[in-house]
Amino acid sequence: MKMDHRVAITGLGLLSALGDSPSRLFEALCAGRSGVRSGTELQSRHRCGCHLAGRLSSDQPEKYLSGRPLRPLDRISQMASAACGLALQSGGWDAERRARVDVSLVVGTMFGGMHTIGEFDRAAIVSGPASVSPMSFANTVINAAAGQTAIWHQLRGANSTVATGSVSGISSVGHAADWIAQGKSTVVLAGGADEFSIEAFCGFGRAGLLCTDGDRAELPIPFDQRRNGFALGEGAGFLVLEDLAYARRRGARVAAEIRGYATAFDVSQGNDPDLAVRAMVRAMRTAISRSGMTADSIEFVSASANGSITRDCSELSALAAVFGERAKELPVTAIKSGTGETLGASGALQIAVALETLASGKLPGIIGLEELPPACPLEGLLARTQSIDARSALINGVGLDGNCCSLVLASLE
Amino acid sequence: MSHSVRGYTNSRPQQPQRVVITGLGVISSIGIGRDVFWDHLMSGYSGIGPISSFDSSEFPVHQGAEVKQFDPTAYVLNLSPDSIGRASQFAIGAARLAVQDANLHIPEDEAYDCGVAIGTTSGEPGIIERFDDQFVASHLDEVSSRFIATYPCHVLAAHVACELGLAGAVLTIPTACAAGNHAIARAYDELRSGKAKVMLAGGADAFSRITYAGFARLGAIAPELCQPFDLNRKGMIPGEGAAFLVLETLEHALNRSAAVYSEVAGYGLSCDAYHMTAADPQGSGGVRAMECALAFAGLSPDDVDYISAHGTGTPTNDRLETIAIKRVFGNRAARIPVSGIKSMLGHAMGAASAIEALACVLAIRDGCIPPTINLYHSDPQCDLDYVPLTGRKHEVKVALSNAYAFGGNNSSLLLARYEA
Repeated sequence: MKMDHRVAITGLGLLSALGDSPSRLFEALCAGRSGVRSGTELQSRHRCGCHLAGRLSSDQPEKYLSGRPLRPLDRISQMASAACGLALQSGGWDAERRARVDVSLVVGTMFGGMHTIGEFDRAAIVSGPASVSPMSFANTVINAAAGQTAIWHQLRGANSTVATGSVSGISSVGHAADWIAQGKSTVVLAGGADEFSIEAFCGFGRAGLLCTDGDRAELPIPFDQRRNGFALGEGAGFLVLEDLAYARRRGARVAAEIRGYATAFDVSQGNDPDLAVRAMVRAMRTAISRSGMTADSIEFVSASANGSITRDCSELSALAAVFGERAKELPVTAIKSGTGETLGASGALQIAVALETLASGKLPGIIGLEELPPACPLEGLLARTQSIDARSALINGVGLDGNCCSLVLASLE
Repeated sequence: MSHSVRGYTNSRPQQPQRVVITGLGVISSIGIGRDVFWDHLMSGYSGIGPISSFDSSEFPVHQGAEVKQFDPTAYVLNLSPDSIGRASQFAIGAARLAVQDANLHIPEDEAYDCGVAIGTTSGEPGIIERFDDQFVASHLDEVSSRFIATYPCHVLAAHVACELGLAGAVLTIPTACAAGNHAIARAYDELRSGKAKVMLAGGADAFSRITYAGFARLGAIAPELCQPFDLNRKGMIPGEGAAFLVLETLEHALNRSAAVYSEVAGYGLSCDAYHMTAADPQGSGGVRAMECALAFAGLSPDDVDYISAHGTGTPTNDRLETIAIKRVFGNRAARIPVSGIKSMLGHAMGAASAIEALACVLAIRDGCIPPTINLYHSDPQCDLDYVPLTGRKHEVKVALSNAYAFGGNNSSLLLARYEA
C-alpha cells in the first residue's frame, strides 16, 4: 500500500468557553475577550489557591444532541459527540454519506471521563460495590467518549484514543493524518476533549501548577513575565480529516492541509532545561522538514504556552532557536489565556483558530500579555490582533510531562 | 516547495518500511520473563486464584489473576520505584526485559528515533483509588502533590521513556481491552512510515478495584474458572500484567545484526457503533477488523495458520467471536486452531492483547500453540478447534490475534514468520 495520500481538513466542530464555533472562538480572541472566570466555590472547596477556570456554560453540550436518550453518555462523551456532530455537519458528512464510507475516529484526552471514574469508585466505597451503576462502569474506560461518539454518529471505521497528557489533541490529529497518508482511512474525525473535574483541578493545584493569587492577581498569561501558572479549562474540538483526492472528487471545501507532524520527548521531564528546549526544537524542526518547508516559510505560530512558569520559558527559547534572526518579528499567538488549558481539546482549538487566521488574514493577540520576560527574543509576542497574509502555520503542543508535538498547516496552492 | 520526507505532501512517495519483532518482555500472572511465561503457557498453568490486591469480602466473586512475586526494584533503576504506580512498574519491567531480549542499546544520538506506545485500560488505578479514599474522608488537602504526575494514563508511556531514554514518539493508547493491539498498530505505523527506527509496543494494567467492581456488577466475572468456549462458561476473570515487544524497521534490525523473531504483517481496526458493552449480534465489526487486517497485509484467509482469540469466557463474546471467525474463514474455520489463553492468564485488560501478541510470536518461533484450558464441554455454538486442555505442535507461518473492547472497538493483528 502506498503512503502518498495528502491530508485535507474539510470540517471542524468545537465547544469552548468562548463559544461553540470556530468563528465565535476566533472573534472573542481577536476582541481580547477571555472565557476564564473566577468561581469562588473552587477556592473554598479545594483550597489550592486558584479561583479561575475556563468552563463551558451549563447548556453546552446538550443543545447539540437531540433525538435520542442522553442518559448513557457522561459529560465528556456528550462533549465529544457534540463537537464531532458539529464537525461532521460543517464537513458535509451527513448520515447518508457516513453509511457509504466508514468514518474513523481518534479522541485525544488526558483524563477521559474523570468525573465518572471518580464518582463510580466513591459510590463503591460509600455504599458498597453492589451499589454501582453498570451504565456508569461502561463510561469509566478512558476510551468511552470515543465509543459513545461512534455509537451516536454511527462511525464504523477505526476507533482509537490517544493519551499524551495536555498535547493529546495534537497527537490525535497526527495519528489520524498517518492513517490517511498510509491509505488506512479515507476520512477521520480527530481532535480531543477533556472535561473540568475536581480531580484534575485539585491535582494540578496541589502540584502548584495552577495560577494562584498569593499576594498578586492570578495571571494565567502565556509568556508574561508576571505569569504564575495556568488556568484549567475544558472543551472539545474535532477536525474532519480527509484524503485530499477524495475531498476534491466530492467537491468538498478544503480549509487547509496538514503537511507534517512530529513529536519528541524530553526524558528529563523538564528537570533539565536544555533537554526540554532540545525536545521542543526537535519536534518543530522535524515537523517543518517533513512538510517540505523551512522555518522561513512558516508565517505564524500558535504556541502551546499557557502561563506555566517553566514550560512557557522553554518554548520561548525553542522558538528562538528554530526561527533564528526571524524570531524577533515572528507573529505568534497563544490562546490559553482566553480558553484556559483545555488539555485534550487544546490542539484542535489551536488549529481551529489558525484556520480562521489563514482564511481571514487576522491573527489574534495574546490576551493579557503586557510584560515580556527580560531579554525576550520574540518581541512580536506583544502585538495586538493584527492583519497577516499567511498561508502556513506551525502549531505547538508542549506537555508538562515532556511530550512535545508540532504540526504544520498550509493553505492549498 | 521542495520535496518531502515522511510528511503528507506526496511529492516523493516513500516505500513503506518492513517492521520486525526483535525482543519480548512479559510480567504476567503465570510468570515473569519470556521463558517461564512460555513454559507455563504451553503446559496449561493457571495464574488465577483468590485475590489479594484488596478485600473482596463485599463482592460476590473473589477470583483474579494477579502478578505474584514482582520486585519493582529489579527493573525500575532510574526513577524511584516508590514514586510511580504499579502499572508503570509492570510496564518498565516488561520493557526492560524486552530490550534485554533484543540486545538493544540505544545510543544517545538515536534517542529521538526510538519511542514507546503502550496500551492500557485504567492507567494507574491504584492512584485514583487512593485519591477517592481521601476524597470520601474529606481529606483533599492530603492529596499528594505528585498525583498529577503519577495518575493520568499518559504517564505509563512517559515513565517507560524516562527509564529507558526513549525520546521519540511516546504515547499511551487507552483503548481498554483492545489497547495492546492498538499500541502495536500505532508503533507499526510509526516504523512503517519511517518516522521511527525502534518502538517498544505493548500494554500494562494493574489490578483495579474499579474494574473489578464494574465487571462484578455486570455479572461478568466467573466464580471459579475462566472457560473460554466451554458450554458452561460463566464469565471472565480480571487480571493484570504487562508485555512489550521490541519493534524495529527491518533495516535497523539488519544493521545491528539483531535476531528477528517475526514480522508485523498488518492490522485492522473497526467499530461496531452499536452498544458500549454488548457486541454487534452478527459479529460484523469483528469481521471487518479481520478482513481489513488481511487486506492491508495482502494475505488471504487461507494464509492464516493460527488464531489467538479474544476469548474472554463470557457467554456472548465467545459465541460472537466464533461467528465472526466463521464469516471470515468460511469452511476453513474449523481447521484453524484457535486458542483462548485468558483461560490461564485471566483478562489482563490493556495488557491482554500485548501478552497474546507475544504468545503468537513464540508460537511462530517454536511451531507450537498454547491450549485453551478448562474447556471440558463443547458448546454447539462454539464449534471450532479451540486447542482444548493441551498445547500442541503446529507450524505457524501467520498468526492472527483478535482483541475487542468496550465501545464496540475491534482490533485484529497479523504476525508472520520473518522471511528475508
